[in-house]
Amino acid sequence: MAELRIAELNYTRGEFNLQLPALQVSQGEKLAILGENGSGKSTLLQLLTGLLEANSDICYDRRALAQIPIRERARIFALLPQQAQVIFPFSVFEVVLFGRFAQTDGRSPTEEDRNQTRELLQKLDLTELAERSFNQLSGGEQRRVMLARALNQQAQILFLDEPNASLDVRHSLDIFAFLRQTTQTLISPVHDINLAAGFFERFWLLKKGRLLADVSRAQLTNEHLAETYDVKVSTAAGSFIFSR
Amino acid sequence: MKRLLFSLLGVAFIIALFSGATAINPFAMSGIEGDILLGLRLPRVLFSAVIGGMLALSGSVYQLTLKNPLADSFTTGTASSAALGAVLGIACGLPTPLVPVLALITGLCGLMMVYRLSVSGGVINPVTMILAGVVVNIVASAVISFSKFYFEESLSSIVFWLMGGFFIVDWTRLIFCALLLAISFVLLQRIGLQLNLLAFDEASARTMGVDVARLRRFSFVLATLLVAVAVSHTGIIGFVGLITPHIARSLYGSDMKRNLTASTLLGALLLMLADAGARSIIPGGAELPVGILTALLGGVFFLYLLRTRRERLWHG
Repeated sequence: MAELRIAELNYTRGEFNLQLPALQVSQGEKLAILGENGSGKSTLLQLLTGLLEANSDICYDRRALAQIPIRERARIFALLPQQAQVIFPFSVFEVVLFGRFAQTDGRSPTEEDRNQTRELLQKLDLTELAERSFNQLSGGEQRRVMLARALNQQAQILFLDEPNASLDVRHSLDIFAFLRQTTQTLISPVHDINLAAGFFERFWLLKKGRLLADVSRAQLTNEHLAETYDVKVSTAAGSFIFSR
Repeated sequence: MKRLLFSLLGVAFIIALFSGATAINPFAMSGIEGDILLGLRLPRVLFSAVIGGMLALSGSVYQLTLKNPLADSFTTGTASSAALGAVLGIACGLPTPLVPVLALITGLCGLMMVYRLSVSGGVINPVTMILAGVVVNIVASAVISFSKFYFEESLSSIVFWLMGGFFIVDWTRLIFCALLLAISFVLLQRIGLQLNLLAFDEASARTMGVDVARLRRFSFVLATLLVAVAVSHTGIIGFVGLITPHIARSLYGSDMKRNLTASTLLGALLLMLADAGARSIIPGGAELPVGILTALLGGVFFLYLLRTRRERLWHG
């Protein structure tokens, strides 16, 4: 079980300042982070995953992130960055299997690891691509493979930076249907608000480095979104409609 | 994989052993011919194999850690900055065992300079890296030329040495280099799985459980040590480290555990054959510095890579 606690956070880089009150995310929560470009979503994700160093405490199960060795971190959380790349022609199967690195504690993957990887590829409709070279896939296919790689890490918390970016509608729906069934915590910056509203249970609304609101799906109103994105928001047939 | 490579290696070994100015019939050898074969050719052939392995192994590591298919000891400027250290060491009359140490230090300085110039925000720009490598090469060559001019007497032999070749071979050097190659190989094999993850972007690699900065530092030092020792003994032999990892990758896939092995064996094979060629190409017993041959081969290969990978190099 992994519980994420953030003490009051104050992070400055250049002109940009991110300030958050103390926050807590429990095991299994599905949390979306909403906000316009430059509102601090990606910075927050980098701070939470230790890619940027925060000067306040970020704790996983009451242990400070800075005290957790890098390999152990990879068993607590996995990250799908916005732009993931692999140099040299590795096969899709190899790329996804690399996700097991922390679980096998740096040893060669066993037959069991390989079988689980094959199963995962099948669940994500990737079996046909398994032997293809990762670099020859389309953007959307690469995205799905990277997601499979992150899932294969079997971490307790998944940080997915826009999991459905560059995916077609069918695959977006499939991925979210798959994620819905997992017991893992999910923390995701998302741009597709209607898709997010249908899936996530909790929302952090960020604006210019400040937390506007921390609300559940039931509490999320048109006004929240209007303030977050500086647009007019109405509702029709259960969907949000945006206009200037 | 191994069976094929080892048999090819064996064939190359025999070819290299029996090529050279004196034609030797293995079934009717005179005493002198036997001496030439065992005393001169055997250590030289083994030495070229070991140096080839060292350069290829370092190239395999550089290409991965720098995320650049055009990287090797030559294009990163490491070889020429290591040569600069070696030349200065020889010119200042440093004891022979200390020359590679100085070469390692200047080689690391050159590599770090190229790395720092080409990295921004954790992303290495491959084009900037090659440009920075060119600059380091030019500066190092200028300082080497200056010291040749300044220390004319002590360095007249260095001109030949700088072109790269196996002119000074003895069993002590051979054993030292072979040991270094074996130890580096084992150390790199042990972290082969982690090295694979360096092929990912930094954010992915770190959150997958690899201490990227530490692993990169370790690999840089080890690869540069291989280059520094090779350069101190044989001068600059370029492009072996560029070509072999690519051939290994196209034959056996990108997995680093396999790539390290295949690159090393192919490097040994390539340099044994190149040296055999260098010894036989000019009729009448004169020999070519092997660096000239590998540079010719490597230059053509480099152009081919530039042509096929141009798009991806410029646009990441």
